[in-house]
Amino acid sequence: MTGRGRIACRSVQSPMADLLLARPGYFALLLHGLGITAKLFAVSWVAAIIVASVLTAIRATSSKIAQGVIALFVEYHRNVPGLVQLFVWYFGVPQLLPRDWQRWINRNDGEFLMAAIALTLYAAAYMSEDLRSGLRSVSSGQSQAAKSLGLTYTQTMRFILLPQALRNALPALVNQTLALFKATSLAMMIGVAELMHAVRQMENETYRTFEAFIVASICYLAISYLLIYLGSVASKRVAMSKR
Amino acid sequence: MKFRLALIPAFVVALSATAFSAHADQLADVKARGTLVCGTLTTTEPLGFQDPKTRQIVGFDVDMCEAIAGKLGVKLEHRGLSIEQRIPELAAGRVDLVSAALGYTKERAEQVDFTAAHYQVPMRVLVRKADKIDSFAALAGKRVSAVKTSTPEIYARQVLTKSEVLTYQDGPAAFLAFMQDKVDGFVTSHTAGLRYLAETKGEGVYINDALAWEPSALGVKKGEPAMLAAVNKALEELEASGDIDKLWVKWYGPDTRFAFAREKKLTPIATFAK
Repeated sequence: MTGRGRIACRSVQSPMADLLLARPGYFALLLHGLGITAKLFAVSWVAAIIVASVLTAIRATSSKIAQGVIALFVEYHRNVPGLVQLFVWYFGVPQLLPRDWQRWINRNDGEFLMAAIALTLYAAAYMSEDLRSGLRSVSSGQSQAAKSLGLTYTQTMRFILLPQALRNALPALVNQTLALFKATSLAMMIGVAELMHAVRQMENETYRTFEAFIVASICYLAISYLLIYLGSVASKRVAMSKR
Repeated sequence: MKFRLALIPAFVVALSATAFSAHADQLADVKARGTLVCGTLTTTEPLGFQDPKTRQIVGFDVDMCEAIAGKLGVKLEHRGLSIEQRIPELAAGRVDLVSAALGYTKERAEQVDFTAAHYQVPMRVLVRKADKIDSFAALAGKRVSAVKTSTPEIYARQVLTKSEVLTYQDGPAAFLAFMQDKVDGFVTSHTAGLRYLAETKGEGVYINDALAWEPSALGVKKGEPAMLAAVNKALEELEASGDIDKLWVKWYGPDTRFAFAREKKLTPIATFAK
């Protein structure tokens, strides 16, 4: 690291970020926010990968209806702002459910649940597009070979095509992972106490706008870099298995 | 890669440093320039909002800017601000005075100098009549909503310690959560909540108690004593001449849908710094 970088790092730690977080309860508040962000991201990411894989597999069938329905699903999630999708899930969808269900949702952290559902579908739409292009880049000889070996459609997908598609789509999926991670901050709008929510609370109570947003930026940057690093490790590993 | 990583904190520091740049005496600047740059909110009726006919930002806060500029003997240059912009813009010296629904709290006063409080509004909790919640104690274990980054949020967290406080992006969202039974109460200032109270069509009611009386004031950049004194003097003159009351009646008077009296007159901010 250069000398200039060291000085800059030190001045970030003191006195600005320290003073704000040194206030009673603020560090715990930040950690709690980070925890919720991590939980929301992890749940939505795993669910999104699963949903995206299923969508991609269905879209690769010859059924025109299934293809049309999934194309519609993807278009909705790509063309409507994420915030609107979140509001639809939180304020709209529960209204269609029976009264008892609504009460159950409200009593069981409905904010987190609805945010996780909205983020999952949002990310799955994008990821399924990446997987689809990954799938199209797998040579057609692969599925013909699988068919000649007597594998069913599901087996071909599960064991032959999707793993290769996943490898081809990996760089794009890392991008979507980062986008999903940052999109978790939208959940603040419906009262999920995630990282951005905690930071905005600090800002509101103290008016230390710059410090609060710098704390948030550093947290998001650090975790994003971690995700990029994990992505590069993963792509190295699948690249090696290509031999 | 290492070098690029090192640049990021440097950039962040450079960015934040702009907020703390030094300035000469601001009052002298304002007088020399001949304009007072005064910031208000733009979507909060009746403090600062767009007049649907003229497309101008109008409201009580805007009129206060105008009146203060008049007392200082300079022209008003109005600037629309978002909630998040208020303090950074003031700190950076891009606005001279903020008249933007600034609720006073002791902690906030570390970042900005508050003038005397020119009005005070009680904080209320809107509940459903059918729920028969008639005191703050009855909200224990229940959920209440408030607008994110508002003073109602702060007071709710301070006073309703046994309730869960959920915050939403804006008033309509916090109110919708209340109307959809997602929460049992909606914490709001008395005046801002009146339009929502009307919207419940008789199903809602304020709990007959105030979480707090919130003092509202104008904000001046820290470390500008001349500017602060000049604005305070202007406020005293405007109070003495009855101009603040006149402006209050124009926006909150009996002929408006707020119909809310200005009970508390201009009060030195030190009164609240307990």
